[in-house]
Amino acid sequence: MNTAVKSSSSRGDLKAIVLFAAIVLSMPFWFPLIGGYPGLDTKILIWAIFALGFDLLLGFMGYLSFGHAAFFGVSAYTTGLMLLHVTPNIIPAMIVSIVVTMALALALGFITLRRSGIYFSILTLAFAEMLHRAALSIFSDYTGGDNGLTGIPSPELFGRVLHETDIFYLCAAFIIVGFYLARRIGRSPFGLMLRAIKSNQNRLWYTGINVPGYRLYGFLLSAVYASIAGSLMVIYEPYVATEFLHWSTSGEVVIMSVLGGVGTLFGPMLGAAFMLYFENVVSATLQEQWLLILGLLFMIIVIFLPGGFVDGGRRLRNWVQGRKAPGANAGSTDTERAE
Amino acid sequence: MVNSLFLQFLTGLQLGAIYMLIALGLTLIFGTLGVVNFAHGALFMLGAYVAVLISNSIGFLWALLLVPVILFVFGIIMERGLIRYFYDRPHTDQILVTFGLALVIQEALKWGFGANNIPFPLPSWGVGIVQLQEYLPFLDGFVAYPKWRLILVCVSLVTVGALFALLQFTRFGLVVRAGMRDPEMLRFLGVNVTLRFSIVFGLGALIAGLAGLFGGPVAQVHPEVGMHFLVPSFLVVVIGGMGSLPGAVLASVVLGMALSFSAEYSAIQQIIIYLVAVIVLLVRPRGLLGQKGVME
Repeated sequence: MNTAVKSSSSRGDLKAIVLFAAIVLSMPFWFPLIGGYPGLDTKILIWAIFALGFDLLLGFMGYLSFGHAAFFGVSAYTTGLMLLHVTPNIIPAMIVSIVVTMALALALGFITLRRSGIYFSILTLAFAEMLHRAALSIFSDYTGGDNGLTGIPSPELFGRVLHETDIFYLCAAFIIVGFYLARRIGRSPFGLMLRAIKSNQNRLWYTGINVPGYRLYGFLLSAVYASIAGSLMVIYEPYVATEFLHWSTSGEVVIMSVLGGVGTLFGPMLGAAFMLYFENVVSATLQEQWLLILGLLFMIIVIFLPGGFVDGGRRLRNWVQGRKAPGANAGSTDTERAE
Repeated sequence: MVNSLFLQFLTGLQLGAIYMLIALGLTLIFGTLGVVNFAHGALFMLGAYVAVLISNSIGFLWALLLVPVILFVFGIIMERGLIRYFYDRPHTDQILVTFGLALVIQEALKWGFGANNIPFPLPSWGVGIVQLQEYLPFLDGFVAYPKWRLILVCVSLVTVGALFALLQFTRFGLVVRAGMRDPEMLRFLGVNVTLRFSIVFGLGALIAGLAGLFGGPVAQVHPEVGMHFLVPSFLVVVIGGMGSLPGAVLASVVLGMALSFSAEYSAIQQIIIYLVAVIVLLVRPRGLLGQKGVME
């Protein structure tokens, strides 16, 4: 869990990023081979950005937000409205979306971060639901109400209409930079503060640290990732669905992160890929029961493997290594998750 | 003038009634076990589904008898089989596992009964309207109100009364209240707190089942309804003060009134309860009747 805090050479860091970039950039070549349809890879990257930002909040700071759809959805609506009414150029649309989302995160953070973590989960859920309701009622003249926001023109960049491949590489660029920054943040003094908030807020208070400030920064940072993901979603598919603000969107990002492995940065992205891949490719045979199976899988992971897939993989590797060289690895395996 | 005010007041009570019942269970479970039960909306929904099934096959009175029992047993099984393994784990894990359970219940109901609304016919004695002016002399002219909604209000008030009596005047209630204060001390004194808390969880589920039984015909019975009612119920708990039963009752009345009196401005009505919540949280973060030190 806390590998990132250990001093590790920047060369190892670089290696991880390069490997990650290679996997992402080569996706159009290998993804169709395992049954992915064109465009699904882009969607996976977008959700992975969303999940990555979510992990900064949940994995590092330990705050479980059930209202991340608020940022995703508001950013998507803002991007949609900008593309529709101002300019089809994506740069101003994305900048305005980020600014609007930051303002929202400031307001929500001010209300929801005042007290403990449970409070935070409940209130983020409630206020995201408020925005969902508001989008369907008060703002329905702007948001298109139940139909969602339609008629958005094809997005452009420097006067060039973006096609499927362009958007894929745009998302790839965002996720590679986003992953790099998240890793850097995880190792920075700021990241350390976020982890300290997770392990013991009170002690941090006593040392004279401005805990509410750091909490708010962590929340804002996470909202920026969600905002970028929301914008990219509309650029990828010029339509804003009301579901983007619905609690089920928040729920999905929670499920992805937990399935993959909270606090590992890579895990939530893996979870996003797993969920979208199975939802769209494998579930053709399962149909409606897919969500039920997903729910059961989610519960099993929460109960028996709180570290998610990444932790499962680590345990498996340790187990295999332990079998190869008996005694060599003894004791080091179980310390990770001993409670 | 008096008539319309009284009608709005009554509607406010009725709207708050379901939230009150769900929130009572939530805050009871939180106050005793310290668990935030994201599956509580699903328990309400389960109550409504079980009620519809029993009511349609062997009659509403059987449902009245069986639904509380079934939900009580379900609650106990849920606590003994799942929740108790999470007392020592972080709060986030408790929330996650109850959220997972809510999803599973929701999807299982969707699989079994379809995603559409299931009609919940009222029993014959609950149909019709009541002429309120016959009972309340201060009303002039004709003031009619659906009978079932009055029954719903009465049921929730009786439930609240019974719960308070149970906690305030019985030995069981005394132990539970002591357990809310300091479970560890109680354990040292040789009291079986675990058993009592397990029963409390069952009671919370039972009350949610009652909400489903009587609220089902008013709300709708479809697989999304659990989450739909969970969010406002959470707000009731937060506004009232987490773990405070009188707070939950007061807050549900406040929210019901806010909903009822803002009905003329339909756009605002959609978000009025959230606005009330924001104001309360900014002015009094611990909730209306919240205790100092709880969840600060």
